[in-house]
Amino acid sequence: MTEKILTKDPLNLIITGVGGQGNVMISLTVGSALVREGYVVTVGETYGVSQRGGPVMSHVRISKETQYSPLILEGQADIVLGMEPVETLRMLGKYGNPNVITMFNPRPIYSVDVIGGEAEYPDLDKLIKTIKELSAKTWVVNATEEAEKMGKPIVANTILIGALVGSGFLPLDRKSMEPVLRERFPKAFELNMKAFDRGMELIGQ
Amino acid sequence: MEAKGARELFEGVIDAGLCASCGGCAGGCPYLLPYRGRIVLMDNCLLSDGQCYQYCPRTFTDMEAVSQKVLGVPFSEDEFGIVREIFLARSTDAEIHEKGQDGGAVTALLSVALAEGIIDGVVETKMDDNKIPHGFIARNREELLGCTGVSYEPSPVLEALNSLPQESAEKLGIVGLPCHVASVSKMKTYPPKNRMNIDNVKLVIGLFCGWEFSGGFRQFLEENFDLPQVDKFDIPHHPAHTFDVYTKSDKKSVELEDIGQYISEACSYCWDMTAEFADISVGSGRAKFKGWNTVVVRTKAGAELMDIARKKGALETQPIPIESIDNLKRASLNKKKKALSSIIAKTGDKKNLLYLGISQDLANKLLV
Amino acid sequence: MPDIAIDAPGTSQLFMGNEAIARGALEAGIGFATAYPGTPSSEILGSLAPVAKKMGIYAEWSVNEIVATEAAAGASLAGVRAITAMKQLGVNVASDFLSILVMSGLGKGGLVLVSCDDPGAISSDNEEDARNLAKSLGMPLLEPGNFQEAKDMTKWLFDLSEEIDSICMLRSVTRIAHSRGNVKLGELPQKEHKAYFDQIHDLRDVKPTKFMPHPVPSHHAALLKKLEKARERFESSPFNWYVGPDKADLLIITCGSCWFYSRDVVKELKLEDRVGILKLGTLWPLPEKFVEKHLNKSQKILFVEEVDPFLERSVMEMAASLPPDSPRPTFYGKRSGHLNAYGEMDQDVLIKVIASMTGLTYQPRDIEYAKKAEELAKNYVPERSIAFCPGCPHRATFWSIKNTLKLDGRNGFVVGDIGCYGLALRPTGFYQSRSHYCMGSGTGVANGLGKLGQHGFNQPVLAVCGDSTFYHAVIPALINGVHNQSNFILIILDNGGTAMTGFQPHPGSELNAMGEPAKFISMEDLCRSMGAHVEICDPFDLKNTTATLLEMMAKDEGAKVVVMRRQCELIRGRKEKPPYKVHVDPDECIGEACGCDRLCTRVFHCPGLIWDKESGKSRIDEVICTGCGVCADICPQGAIVKEAA
Repeated sequence: MTEKILTKDPLNLIITGVGGQGNVMISLTVGSALVREGYVVTVGETYGVSQRGGPVMSHVRISKETQYSPLILEGQADIVLGMEPVETLRMLGKYGNPNVITMFNPRPIYSVDVIGGEAEYPDLDKLIKTIKELSAKTWVVNATEEAEKMGKPIVANTILIGALVGSGFLPLDRKSMEPVLRERFPKAFELNMKAFDRGMELIGQ
Repeated sequence: MEAKGARELFEGVIDAGLCASCGGCAGGCPYLLPYRGRIVLMDNCLLSDGQCYQYCPRTFTDMEAVSQKVLGVPFSEDEFGIVREIFLARSTDAEIHEKGQDGGAVTALLSVALAEGIIDGVVETKMDDNKIPHGFIARNREELLGCTGVSYEPSPVLEALNSLPQESAEKLGIVGLPCHVASVSKMKTYPPKNRMNIDNVKLVIGLFCGWEFSGGFRQFLEENFDLPQVDKFDIPHHPAHTFDVYTKSDKKSVELEDIGQYISEACSYCWDMTAEFADISVGSGRAKFKGWNTVVVRTKAGAELMDIARKKGALETQPIPIESIDNLKRASLNKKKKALSSIIAKTGDKKNLLYLGISQDLANKLLV
Repeated sequence: MPDIAIDAPGTSQLFMGNEAIARGALEAGIGFATAYPGTPSSEILGSLAPVAKKMGIYAEWSVNEIVATEAAAGASLAGVRAITAMKQLGVNVASDFLSILVMSGLGKGGLVLVSCDDPGAISSDNEEDARNLAKSLGMPLLEPGNFQEAKDMTKWLFDLSEEIDSICMLRSVTRIAHSRGNVKLGELPQKEHKAYFDQIHDLRDVKPTKFMPHPVPSHHAALLKKLEKARERFESSPFNWYVGPDKADLLIITCGSCWFYSRDVVKELKLEDRVGILKLGTLWPLPEKFVEKHLNKSQKILFVEEVDPFLERSVMEMAASLPPDSPRPTFYGKRSGHLNAYGEMDQDVLIKVIASMTGLTYQPRDIEYAKKAEELAKNYVPERSIAFCPGCPHRATFWSIKNTLKLDGRNGFVVGDIGCYGLALRPTGFYQSRSHYCMGSGTGVANGLGKLGQHGFNQPVLAVCGDSTFYHAVIPALINGVHNQSNFILIILDNGGTAMTGFQPHPGSELNAMGEPAKFISMEDLCRSMGAHVEICDPFDLKNTTATLLEMMAKDEGAKVVVMRRQCELIRGRKEKPPYKVHVDPDECIGEACGCDRLCTRVFHCPGLIWDKESGKSRIDEVICTGCGVCADICPQGAIVKEAA
């Protein structure tokens, strides 16, 4: 059991990215860990056809007692975890507020609209600056970069989970996450635990 | 030079009924491909400044600029352009003569050019088993002989030129109709980018042309003839009234009036009967000189090749009678007049001559 | 995916709605489960299949929803509890059978039909409310308002089904089906199934025999009685409840996922003592007495539900029949236009509606922040359209189809169908697909077009379908086309699985839902046995594919088939390494210049190829590129280089 407590009820977490990046894996892992700790968790996913390269978002509602709606109301996000910078801004545009905490992987994924010339991808520095402007606190977590350093780009998600848990905003810690990761990655536990720790390290807690 | 691209090419030329399917626009990019007598737009190219438009013989052509660059002299207002020499000729090689349409002079000249290393290859038309013409690069005698014989359908021969890689260093000859020659001449005048250096083209041989068949003609051929068995097509000269199809064993004739509907509309706008921008222009010896070619030498390069050909004994020549030259002048002038009338009828404006960048004076003179 | 057969009664698990339904079926002791993949229902059978062996049940991906329902009914006939699951469109397919089943009655095994509807059509081509079919065909209907109910209702429905001897329906929606929440587990029964078809064979018995609908009127009367019995049960159901004051300024009547939205909105607006919520779980037949009791709680009643005003109409119908001195509240909802009768229920709209109905002004967040955030998002968030995945064979197929139709020059076109390749109506498929209806309809429509030659029609017609769609619905349409010599080419896009919904197997697979060997049915053998001319192409061989299609298009000889065979990249990529390492040689790339106009990024549109505006060259995104190498074949300059990995 963790010593962490729920700072707000419900606590609203949005995980966002591009279809195929592994949104669901993060929300399921974090959600399961929270249920294990005795919380009532609702995870609302918007995917389906989005898997084919469209935007995806998971809304995670964490409460001591109440099963909340799978969708967060406009402007009600407490934490935004973004796997892609444009998607992070998309979420802040609708669900952000002056108190939101934002954590994101700055590696762009270009949509086919951008590639085809019908839309323009913003300048990355400007994009990061805008995200910071709209958040009370921001962490830039180079998850893809770090995962590539570890030789396995696929663990970028686990690094982000580590960063999220390491930030202290969720009632979770390393101890509560370990059994969940062990269950989720029976064959690649060591690697994922390492990735998780790296994420915590990057946040610096 | 107007800055226009594929969209304008389709609007102004292809969809407007002016396209001769010469292939001058095709092969240099993935967007324009020749297929069974048409130029097909495979995808939308958004460029407003395209080489396809620039090299099309039916987009605005500054005749003076082209003449200066390609022939080295001001644009000639004579009946069939610059004439350095004009005579009758035929190949002395029996096989070339037999395979040739009339005198085999073109193949003979190209043979000499290849042998002398003036060129390494020739961009010309080769028909496939179904007699569909394609662009082809012939690099030896055997391949040259594979390209003999006239196809009366549009040939996108320049696609073979345009699709050569940028690094290509082969010296090239080109054989084409007046539309092909006009297109190549525009390439020489406004050199291409991201393509083979156009200076590699050392020799251009143009063929006399009145008109071609197109459109439903392909289906007509496929339905009425066993095309893989066909050896040769011919429209014997004046009085020309049949389209003849030869196989090894027989000859079939179709009355021209029965297939008149297949004559290409685009040809009615064409003003060049003798390929006035070629180094050497070659036509039929006509009924009077069956088995001979009429040859017009226009440039220094053409004259040099002719000299070598004579020295090597590759060609037998004889003077051309004044009467024949007069006939040629008359025929060429008629084509120019007809073209001008058709163009003005199309534009509805005497000042709008579409692609013809000639002086209003010349136009007026011709329209009299 | 979590293990839905986990033996841990009393514990709380994080299950998605579909998993909860599957768990409910297990707790009810089913022996048989069928489905056809359809978002958002696929995870029901998808989570039952992996535990089928362990739980001693049979789980099948049937070829379509009507066969799935019939097969499940077969189990019920032999006394085995069965569940069948589908999306809203599947209920249409099954409805022919359902319409008679409700007359003919069940066997001893309870039978539950689950429909997962798709409000807003996130993954569908219509927005349809399957509850209407429950009512029109005659099936008692429940709709869960949370994840616990998804499990508990499913379990209970088997009891109801056996009690009234009729098929019952559970209706879910995307937000319950795919969202996850806490589910307290029950016991898993130790069940030994004994399947036997009890024939009730008595020559002297002149009463109507079971499993037949005749005589229909008396069976219809019997059905109405069964539904009344269900209604009685519903009157005291724990799935219906009221929260709120005895006298409310506003009464919300809601069901399903809208329970969440209504409850959350009331909480957010702090209206718990002014607004009451009547949440119904048993929707039809309507528990009228229960509902009537609450009608006087307010003068204003707002109905909040997904897709159609189904509950709204049922309650209004009932209210109209009440005696004249009954309370006469004003009803608001989709009929009054307070809420849209189309699109998914939007919480952010609902909160504004309820605020205005209770005289409140609602500000979701700080106005200045909102303005700034919306403006910045508008300026800096580009469109992200869905597209074929990198390495998808469909991209190559439609590239060849596009080229073929252009070269052919007779204005030929593609009639589309349902699947990943359905995206061909977008730029990712070069806008090739020109019509779009239901499963198998591409071939059906092509049948008609191919017989219009006598009316002057000469445009080449290409019908496309996927491998799963082929077995699902195209076979009869192709038989029709071959038999009637209709001129079209059927292009079967065989990528080795039901890709769009999650790679479920089908009769063209060698394994079944439970991972056991199944009998493989060759699609080309089947087509050839009909007498159709069949060619098989590799979509990555662009040249050969284009040549084959051109050749086939040139001849008018009735219905023909081309199988484009190459495995879905998402399946292949899990098992194998990328075949090529691809890179762009910047020295050879001419970018936007005449001769290319960046064909690879602007037209070909693969997410693995990106355009570097600064350098004016294309570039491979190594994280996204799957190394299929097709882009190397389309680059006009040979600047894209593929090296065998």
